[in-house]
Amino acid sequence: MEVSSLPISASQRAKLISAGYTTLSSLFSVSHSDIARDLEISENEALEILRLASQRRGSERSDGTSSIVNGAQSAWEMLNEEESLGRITTSCSELDDILGGGISCKEVTEIGGVPGIGKTQLGIQLAVNVQIPMDYGGLQGKAIYIDTEGSFMVERVLQIAEACFEDMRGYHGFLKRDLQTCQLNMQPKDFLENIIYFRVCSYTEQIAVVNYLEKFISEHKDVKVVIIDSITFHFRQDFDDMALRTRLLGGMALKLMKLAKKFTLAVVLLNQVTTKYTEGQYQLTLALGDSWSHSCTNRVILYWNGNERYAYIDKSPSVRSAAAPYAVTGRGIRSSVSNCKRVKMM
Amino acid sequence: MKPEDLLQQLTSNPTQKCTLGCPILDRVLAGGIPCNSITELVAESGCGKTQISLQLLLSAQLPASLGGLNASSLYLFSESPFPLRRLHQLSSSFPTLHNPSDKILTHPLHSAHHLFDVLSQLDSLLLSRQLTSSPPIKLIVIDSIAALFRYEFENNARDLKQRSGLFFKISSKLKEQARRFGLAVVVINQVVDVMDDSDGLRIGNSACLYTSERKVSAALGLSWANCVNTRLFLSRNEERVAQEVGDDCFTTQTRSYYCYIRNKVAKRFKNRTYKGTSCRNKDPIEYAGWT
Repeated sequence: MEVSSLPISASQRAKLISAGYTTLSSLFSVSHSDIARDLEISENEALEILRLASQRRGSERSDGTSSIVNGAQSAWEMLNEEESLGRITTSCSELDDILGGGISCKEVTEIGGVPGIGKTQLGIQLAVNVQIPMDYGGLQGKAIYIDTEGSFMVERVLQIAEACFEDMRGYHGFLKRDLQTCQLNMQPKDFLENIIYFRVCSYTEQIAVVNYLEKFISEHKDVKVVIIDSITFHFRQDFDDMALRTRLLGGMALKLMKLAKKFTLAVVLLNQVTTKYTEGQYQLTLALGDSWSHSCTNRVILYWNGNERYAYIDKSPSVRSAAAPYAVTGRGIRSSVSNCKRVKMM
Repeated sequence: MKPEDLLQQLTSNPTQKCTLGCPILDRVLAGGIPCNSITELVAESGCGKTQISLQLLLSAQLPASLGGLNASSLYLFSESPFPLRRLHQLSSSFPTLHNPSDKILTHPLHSAHHLFDVLSQLDSLLLSRQLTSSPPIKLIVIDSIAALFRYEFENNARDLKQRSGLFFKISSKLKEQARRFGLAVVVINQVVDVMDDSDGLRIGNSACLYTSERKVSAALGLSWANCVNTRLFLSRNEERVAQEVGDDCFTTQTRSYYCYIRNKVAKRFKNRTYKGTSCRNKDPIEYAGWT
């Protein structure tokens, strides 16, 4: 910005320019006494010039910067917004507690564990729970379920939905006096209608679906959770070019993160575990490598502790690391504390 | 790209199941071996894995009213020769079937790579069977996946990486075909002994699996465990055979089975809960240190 734009007298302007102060920024690196000396003017006059110059720059900055970081928020606004955002319950109160109330919207959460630990079960549970009506403390949203492994079974979804429905009806009983306002106008089968299910059979299809999601969700704004079960499966076969794999996964993670922010929805990625060889011994770790581990905001690891299933917060910007037991039951994910007796088969 | 209508799938096209011939097994599996996914049978030798497979080839031909798929089946076997005589014996207990052997296709397997090649060429066969009047193939049995993988690869990093890559390739192909053609895929796996006292890596619902009083786990390790949808563990326990399950229950087997079921789909048991002794003081970070 030129000094010529300053609202000062022509003689002062000429003096400034002839003294070498051609831009506004050159004025800010010197004191008013320097300017007074260089321009042979009084210090008061020099102060006035500096005041005008800083005023001009101030107005410039507030216009200019707002166009660069459009939509910037203060931390205060973000806090308010986050508190107003709902969370998706896991149906296990201990697990909800360590997660800070459930799976949070606007974030990407990765959940990993050994085969049979209940990743798919948790995925299905979230797809059902996201639909709990607002009156019952839910998000009343839809779920997108991207199945890469073929473990998603409709019959099982119906079972979990029926259990969820029963729980809501039980809750309904407590609220008898609000019966008029709080009608439960949902049926277990409605849960199925609100799960948008994609089955993908290759990694190219997986990428295509993720790319398509933005368009799809902008047409279906009530989607509140995207579940990919699992993010890993198609990326573990025969990738000779690991750099390509890292790029594809990184690109996918960015897209998903953008979706989460843009449409205020939760993204849940299920991951497998693999063994990693470090310091002479094999360790269990989530699949897809170190670069991938940066891609998710939250990371939850599911593991066996004795005969109990546990979930452990491995990474989270907002809640502390903690572990909690949970159980997989016929009704879905539940607190393990309430299931005191282990039912023996046969 | 269109999402699927789950409600319609549930009402008009529920998952088909192929009966195992044993009401108890069928009950725990909610009807039998499910279509559209991979079911693995894990057992030590002599448990009757091949017997079950052969019987499945026959039950698949039964009409849906009798728990079958009304379809042909394909048997891929690595352990030659094909037990033809046993199949004939078994088919006598399926009097309603007309020339059952006509509807059983077989193919030998020489190696894991050969299996993948065979699967890749299978699409056209599956498609042509679907289009023509002959009954479509609805069941593929691979007997056994363990035999193909256990001996072919060295125990070094390069071979192991190649091996797990091939696991995922084969599994992906099978799952794609299972879905596209509505197949029930059954893979047979063996067991390995667990040597040390530690539980090792726990996969599935039972802390450890016992057969003939040996502690075992499924062969092929963690990577392969990610590749199957349902895992069924069969074990032998000679002493308690007669008292637990009557002979008539599993029509062609005189031995009985204790089944420990590890089911990723886990829809089966209404009252299935998991609760053991509480070990909450244990540091959860140990997870990373499991070997």
